[in-house]
Amino acid sequence: MYEPPFWRDREANERLAATECDACGYVSFPERREVCKRCGERGEFRDTRLEERGIVQSYVIQNRLPDAFETPLPVAVMDVPQVGANDGGSDGDDAGSDAGEPARVYGLFTETDPEAMAIGMEAAAVFRELFDVEGLPVGSFKFTVPRGENR
Amino acid sequence: MSSGVSNSSGTRGASGGDIGGREACVIGSGMIDFGELFEQSTDDMAERAYLNAIEDVDSGISPQEIDAAWFGTLDIAGDASSGAGLAHATGLFEIPVTRVENACATGSTAFRSAVEAIEAGSAEVALVLGVEKMRDSAAGLIESAALDQVWRGRGVTMPAFFGMRATRHMHEFDTTEEQVAKVSVKNHANGAKYPHAHYRFECSVEDVVESPTVTYPLNLYDCCPVTDGAAALLVASEELASEYTDDPIHVAGSGLSTDSLLRSEDESLVGFPATTQAASQAYEQASIGPEHVDVAEVHDCFTITELVTYEDLGFCAKGEGGALIDEGVVELDGEKPVNPSGGLLAKGHPIGASGVAQLAEIYEQLRGEAGSVQVDDPEIGLQHNIGIGRNATGSVSCVNVLERR
Repeated sequence: MYEPPFWRDREANERLAATECDACGYVSFPERREVCKRCGERGEFRDTRLEERGIVQSYVIQNRLPDAFETPLPVAVMDVPQVGANDGGSDGDDAGSDAGEPARVYGLFTETDPEAMAIGMEAAAVFRELFDVEGLPVGSFKFTVPRGENR
Repeated sequence: MSSGVSNSSGTRGASGGDIGGREACVIGSGMIDFGELFEQSTDDMAERAYLNAIEDVDSGISPQEIDAAWFGTLDIAGDASSGAGLAHATGLFEIPVTRVENACATGSTAFRSAVEAIEAGSAEVALVLGVEKMRDSAAGLIESAALDQVWRGRGVTMPAFFGMRATRHMHEFDTTEEQVAKVSVKNHANGAKYPHAHYRFECSVEDVVESPTVTYPLNLYDCCPVTDGAAALLVASEELASEYTDDPIHVAGSGLSTDSLLRSEDESLVGFPATTQAASQAYEQASIGPEHVDVAEVHDCFTITELVTYEDLGFCAKGEGGALIDEGVVELDGEKPVNPSGGLLAKGHPIGASGVAQLAEIYEQLRGEAGSVQVDDPEIGLQHNIGIGRNATGSVSCVNVLERR
């Protein structure tokens, strides 16, 4: 688990720690940068955290993957709201000065019926072991739609 | 990459163009038949494409006249490629050779680099050689599913990366599975007529939508095959070009850009801003707009890629790619034929070779030498690649515009 990349990224992987650009509001996750990936400014970044939920922006169902994955596997582009945001809604530019933007990330789904997947749907982020490095687990979040629930 | 029109606005990221007013021209092209080429090594393919390009030059060329070369390959086969790889395959030692790797834009970036060197006056005649041996390894690209990444593209394969755009495009613009499938039908119809294509069969919309699902919403016939291949181009300064041919083809513009799905711009859910950025650089250098393009070879690694690329290149408005193909505009006999060669879907996608091959096809089209897939008297041709970088979190696009004058 403490091979360097996983050690470096633990705060993001395990606690959803992110940073927000003062200049444009872009939420950088999981990387912590000095320059903003969106506006290119070398600005101030504020520490923030992401909620354990997200909104599906688009998705695919993966049928062909290496053995390390169960298939069929839904994989999505997710908007994950900041903790304390009024709304992590799908349209980004929410009103409310404290809302802030969501972070946009790839999300692997787990324990989810592929038929339940839909754009605009909310899913819960759940902590799981993703893989191991020589027997030591690397944990982070996957997404799931509770069975029988299709929002 | 220059034109008579002043180009002083200095588009950010645009380079080349108008250095000392020198222009570059393509003077020869060489292809090999793409396919499953177990009998040929990387070097065999590269050598044959090179020799075909040499033999294609109207007034002949001797290897001693080539003073620099660019080598495009991802080296998927693990041949430990470098500039020396090109020299070993072609015998062109003792000159500068630069290996270029830029995801699926590798071949087109290699070409662009050669053009820039000629425009800058640091080369007079340059070879651009793209090659990829895709089939020697059974693992293929599926093993590139970023297994040891946490957030950076874990489990996101090539069809997933592009399929994301399909799901969202269908959701946002009511694009249908059948419209997406028509890209495959069109390109296979073209590929069936194109002698260098890997797959030369025709298929129907039904065949596409009923083929096995690879990654929903993409089926097998929505995906390009795994193909070995090589292609080569010879580029010369405008002054020298006329010594080699009476019909040189000018490089009118070139653009190269990168972007990322994760910059939170919603356009990147339904297309590729990198393509729009690269195209805008190329159009500006060429002093043209998308309406001036007579024929295009664009990146159709998946059907949806071509459909959103119509929009990203400005061939139609965002969201209208489905209507464009319904109207037949991009068919071989349409107003703006796209992928007369069959595209990557039928011709194949040997990554380092793909962009070079597309440029070779545009060169043939503009010279009226495209045989059974020749379109009606084109003057301006566009070539486009879009590639995935950085474990599916980045994208890179290269666009080149060629012109017959």
